[in-house]
Amino acid sequence: MQMNDSQRIPASKEKVWAALNDPDILRRCIPGCQSLEMASPTEMTATIVLRVGPVKATFGGKVTLSELDPPNSYRISGEGSGGIAGFARGGALVTLASEGPDLTVLTYAVEAQIGGKLAQLGGRLIDSTARKLAGEFFKSFGEVVGQAATAGV
Amino acid sequence: MNDMTPTREQRTAALEGMGCKRKRVEDIRFTQGKGNYVDDVKLPGMLHGDFVRSPHPHARVKSIDDSEALKVPGVLAVITAETLKTVNLAWMPTLAGDVQMVLADGKVLFQNQEVAFVVATDRYAADDGINKVKVEYEPLPPLVDPFKSMDPNAPVLREDLAGKTSGAHGPRKHHNHIFEWTVGDKELTDAAFNKAEVTIKEMISYHRTHPSPLETCQCVCSFDKIKGELTIWGTFQAPHVIRTVVALIAKLPEQKIHVIAPDIGGGFGNKVGAYPGYICAAVASIVTGKPVKWVEDRIENLTATSFARDYHMTTEIAATKEGKVTGLRVHVLADHGAFDACADPSKWPAGFFNIVTGSYDFPTAHLAVDGVYTNKAPGGVAYRCSFRVTEAAYCIERAMDILAQKLGMDPAELRLKNFIKPEQFPYHSALGWEYDSGDYGTAMRKAMETVKYAELRKEQEQMRAAFKRGETREIMGIGVSFFTEIVGAGPSKNCDILGIAMFDSCEIRMHPTGAGIARMGTKSQGQGHETTWAQIIATEIGIPADNIMVEEGNTDTAPYGLGTYGSRSTPVAGAAIAMAARKIRAKAQMIAAYKLEVHEDDLEWDIDGFRVKGLPGKFMSMKDICWAAYNSVPPGMEPGLEAVSYYDPPNMTYPFGAYICVMTIDVDTGVYKVRRFYALDDCGTRINPMIIEGQVHGGLTEAFAIAMGQEIRYDAEGNVVTGSFMDFFMPTAVETPHWETDFTVTPSPHHPIGAKGVGESPNVGGVPAFSNAVNDAFSFLGSTHIQMPHDFWRNWAAAKSLGVFASA
Repeated sequence: MQMNDSQRIPASKEKVWAALNDPDILRRCIPGCQSLEMASPTEMTATIVLRVGPVKATFGGKVTLSELDPPNSYRISGEGSGGIAGFARGGALVTLASEGPDLTVLTYAVEAQIGGKLAQLGGRLIDSTARKLAGEFFKSFGEVVGQAATAGV
Repeated sequence: MNDMTPTREQRTAALEGMGCKRKRVEDIRFTQGKGNYVDDVKLPGMLHGDFVRSPHPHARVKSIDDSEALKVPGVLAVITAETLKTVNLAWMPTLAGDVQMVLADGKVLFQNQEVAFVVATDRYAADDGINKVKVEYEPLPPLVDPFKSMDPNAPVLREDLAGKTSGAHGPRKHHNHIFEWTVGDKELTDAAFNKAEVTIKEMISYHRTHPSPLETCQCVCSFDKIKGELTIWGTFQAPHVIRTVVALIAKLPEQKIHVIAPDIGGGFGNKVGAYPGYICAAVASIVTGKPVKWVEDRIENLTATSFARDYHMTTEIAATKEGKVTGLRVHVLADHGAFDACADPSKWPAGFFNIVTGSYDFPTAHLAVDGVYTNKAPGGVAYRCSFRVTEAAYCIERAMDILAQKLGMDPAELRLKNFIKPEQFPYHSALGWEYDSGDYGTAMRKAMETVKYAELRKEQEQMRAAFKRGETREIMGIGVSFFTEIVGAGPSKNCDILGIAMFDSCEIRMHPTGAGIARMGTKSQGQGHETTWAQIIATEIGIPADNIMVEEGNTDTAPYGLGTYGSRSTPVAGAAIAMAARKIRAKAQMIAAYKLEVHEDDLEWDIDGFRVKGLPGKFMSMKDICWAAYNSVPPGMEPGLEAVSYYDPPNMTYPFGAYICVMTIDVDTGVYKVRRFYALDDCGTRINPMIIEGQVHGGLTEAFAIAMGQEIRYDAEGNVVTGSFMDFFMPTAVETPHWETDFTVTPSPHHPIGAKGVGESPNVGGVPAFSNAVNDAFSFLGSTHIQMPHDFWRNWAAAKSLGVFASA
């Protein structure tokens, strides 16, 4: 499954970049995220509650940042297991471009794969759920970063 | 004689024998919710087992940690492959000559494969335990597409077979290859194609589906440590085979294994094989010393126990310009999943697929089947059909339509032109079968007349013209199917399972008061054996069917038989029943002769007893003979009246039928409407017409499901995406069309009562009728073949690809 989209965020590229590396902001923005802890500057562990159709599961897994090109782009990838509910793995190439001093365009290309019961039962709901979750993430990310930027001014 | 003396008609009617629409006796308990199924078996101290299953289609199992699971209250044990290795049961043999992991041994090969078995005091605790078992996997690339299975760089699935260049059915060409099976004369067939005036070639796929009985597979195993005896209650279509398999692989003495198949809620081929659940429950019972129950849930049933079909059939027909077929060439790519666990007679890796010449007089044919492994669930069972017969019927019936289209001929006319003629029976087919009897032309013409076929074609022509003028968005299809089945496996000369000849059996024991009990090696799963078996006996020995109790499914009491599947019950056990009954009657005749003080040759059989020829008043009823058998048999004769028959059929039987489906499809939505479905079946002698009709209704409904949507589908990553009834089409009364049934009667010449078997015919003939209707509907838009299943979305997609939205 692949998703490509972009989002305008009312903040400078540097601020957006910093937020993309801030576990606290990520935790607040990832839908269903219960915990997110930095193990190293490029590695985090996360617990996320996910619901696809009839399946609800708590996923525990690793999030890794790679291909870092601050403050322009990175790849965020994750792999998690939800026990009998199955597993999910995927990643997103996130690219930032300045449109002005306080306006940044965040472009993302997500690739995700899921397996197990989630895929069996949620089959036809997965694409729409994933799109919805990605949309929610970047929407709240935009809001949080935008607010922080506005508040900081 | 006075007026009270019953007439011959009344006496015959009182028996409720063959030909009578006797009401199903088993329904008295079923309709009151008083059936006794495996899940109704509740034993003191009984434990429950359930599986940890793999979310990955292909992965290495790095570790299994059960320490947290064992802390869950109620969880008593977690069984893994390592546990099973201590009793040499980590792998088990399949019916197809392969081996299959009972629990993941180092690797998983399909999604939902059994990895560990959690045993607990109740099902909930077992489920909680499953959640706590930690399995570490290293995912490997999955192989989903069978057409890529033999690529040089395809992943190696079966590491256990490394270096093995031959399998149970001969040489292997590739590490994912299972067998190649060829039949027929290649040279002669190639020659026929070389000089053919017209040829067609099409890759016809029969998708993966699942028998999906409403009651899933399940068992209760109870090991008695003191006696050293194992009792297994299970959903077994073939209880005796299960007993023998358990004896062979668990090394238990066969007399100490008691297999009991109680009432079964549908089998359709799903309940023939042996599954890891049975082995694990048995081992768990031996380990814990307590009874252990294993009951599959719906997802497990659909995704792990035997699927059906997944045959990809490249089909070619050679013919003359006038439409006379001259040759048939078929290559099948058979996707067996991770293990070859299809349930066919041992020597038949592709079942009886060589019935693919169908009802037509092909002078020559050649068939090659390649079986391959993929990262999918194992199976390949005969879902309401004899072994691979529905695949064969679909293949030839689609191909005949494609040929008709190419020739510009009517598909029914093409069939009539190529039928095997009545005078050609017994007919030797180009692929090696001897068809017992048939009158195809009569059946086809009766079907065409009943539905007013010619008028339907005229209406279709008008509708097509109207469609082209833009006056309607509906298209009309007429699906014709004329199938010949091969059922009743089978003669010991060519059919066995694990070395046991595929005979069947019956034991009849008459009691002094003119009643009796009859036991068979078959096992009803809804077919109504308790009703029909008693009817055969009633006619044969003149005792009312109501006085005969039929009992099946207990290996301690029933004579050895190979079970119920492949429409073999009536052709094989039905014959054994008649033969056993005739042994009873033969002894009864001697007793009657003695009591009536005549020579037994002076007696003649008369409905329900023996009469002295020429002396109508001197008569002894079978009821009285039963009494006499227990007190005054002729000197030197043993008392009692019982008989056993083991019947080894001389040949298979070949039921046939003509089905016609009329359908309309809305091209803008893909929504179809079945306007009419007419099914004419010829199953030889009809034992109970009402049960036959019920069987045909059920089989047609499953055919409808398969053709119009029922599918086990995998995504590219190897996830099963149709693992529940949300996505797997299970028609209810709402979707199911109205069925019209009809018949002709062409008895089997070699069967004692002339019966051929019918339970599976409607599935075999129904699928091509539906698919041909859809394909016929689209054909005038330039389409040759659209793959099944024909659900709304695919119909819409077909319409779109044919450009019907171009002007919109």
